[in-house]
Amino acid sequence: MTPPTHHPSDETLLDFARGALSPGRSLVLRAHLGACPACSASVRLAEAVGGALLSELAPADMAPDALDQALARIERPPAPVAAPGVRPRDNWIRVPADVLTAAARRKRWAAPGVWVAPVTRDRRTGERSYLLGVGRGIAVPRHTHRGVEMVCVLTGAYDDRGDQHHPGDFAENDEAVEHRPRVTRDGECVCLIAADNALVARDLIGWIMQPLVRI
Amino acid sequence: MIEAIAARGDRGAFAALFGHFAPRVKSYMLRLGADPRLADELAQETLLAVWRKAAAFDPAKAAPSTWIFTIARNLRIDAARRARRVEPADDPSDAADAEPAPDEALVAAQSETRVRQALASLPLEQAEVVRLSFFSDKPHSEIAAELRLPLGTVKSRLRLAMRRLRDLLGDLA
Repeated sequence: MTPPTHHPSDETLLDFARGALSPGRSLVLRAHLGACPACSASVRLAEAVGGALLSELAPADMAPDALDQALARIERPPAPVAAPGVRPRDNWIRVPADVLTAAARRKRWAAPGVWVAPVTRDRRTGERSYLLGVGRGIAVPRHTHRGVEMVCVLTGAYDDRGDQHHPGDFAENDEAVEHRPRVTRDGECVCLIAADNALVARDLIGWIMQPLVRI
Repeated sequence: MIEAIAARGDRGAFAALFGHFAPRVKSYMLRLGADPRLADELAQETLLAVWRKAAAFDPAKAAPSTWIFTIARNLRIDAARRARRVEPADDPSDAADAEPAPDEALVAAQSETRVRQALASLPLEQAEVVRLSFFSDKPHSEIAAELRLPLGTVKSRLRLAMRRLRDLLGDLA
């Protein structure tokens, strides 16, 4: 598979490395990292900065018995966690297992050729991540966004204002972006998407808006 | 030391590693707003994870401080998500890293020193926003407000810092 050509901003990579990206957006970014050696290298670099800064911190006093407690806990290893038995999909980029589980178990048809599967939900902020599958040649109604939406293509391709997005490609869309992405003729396109709010419709033809609001 | 833990379950090595890193991880957690008890607990958890995962540590891929930083960061994220009741999606510690090509592999022995030198070579205002952002989980807009700077200035400083670090250290990652 060719490396992605649409990448996250440096600020987003840094947010991921410092642990400040919200849960859904982290997941979307990780899907991109799995397909992008260049951004993975940037994240490792930022993490090395985190490591160097950690080493420079003035030590805080630990509880007096902290080491003894830790040594005692070494004796009691935690029960091993069973790996989820979901097989990767041949024509998808590599994604975390729970994304595959969501695709297999929570898929709901929103309209002919269009399905949605919720993946994560942050109850405090309302952020959600979800899979959106759109059949070949279908266009998503014109819309804009509230806050920053992050998108990673898992399989297939779509055209956004004359620019094609392929598997592994990453997009950050905010309120300045008003668009009508259309899936290419080659086949179904599945994207992993995270946003605080569902799509904001501009011309509400309506086939997709209501189901998305109900994710 | 991590190799000694992996190879022999060396408790002496673990105690030395704990003595060095646990107080710094605690300091990191305190800066990010954990109360002292939680910070202590997360520092212990971090070092326990080092013990359990020692065999997975690859010195060609990351310096010990980098690896321990990522474990501490992920445990902090987990604790925050539990507190916020985020429906679990996955374990952030099994990050879907692409396997580095052999010619990209980190030479860990010198890497941390080089990262520090690179940080020290940044213009002060860039180093400041990098440091602040790592010791905070706030969005850049809040960091900008604390520094009384426009958001665009904070973002451009971070971008310039990343570009310079990539120029200086690109061969490491």
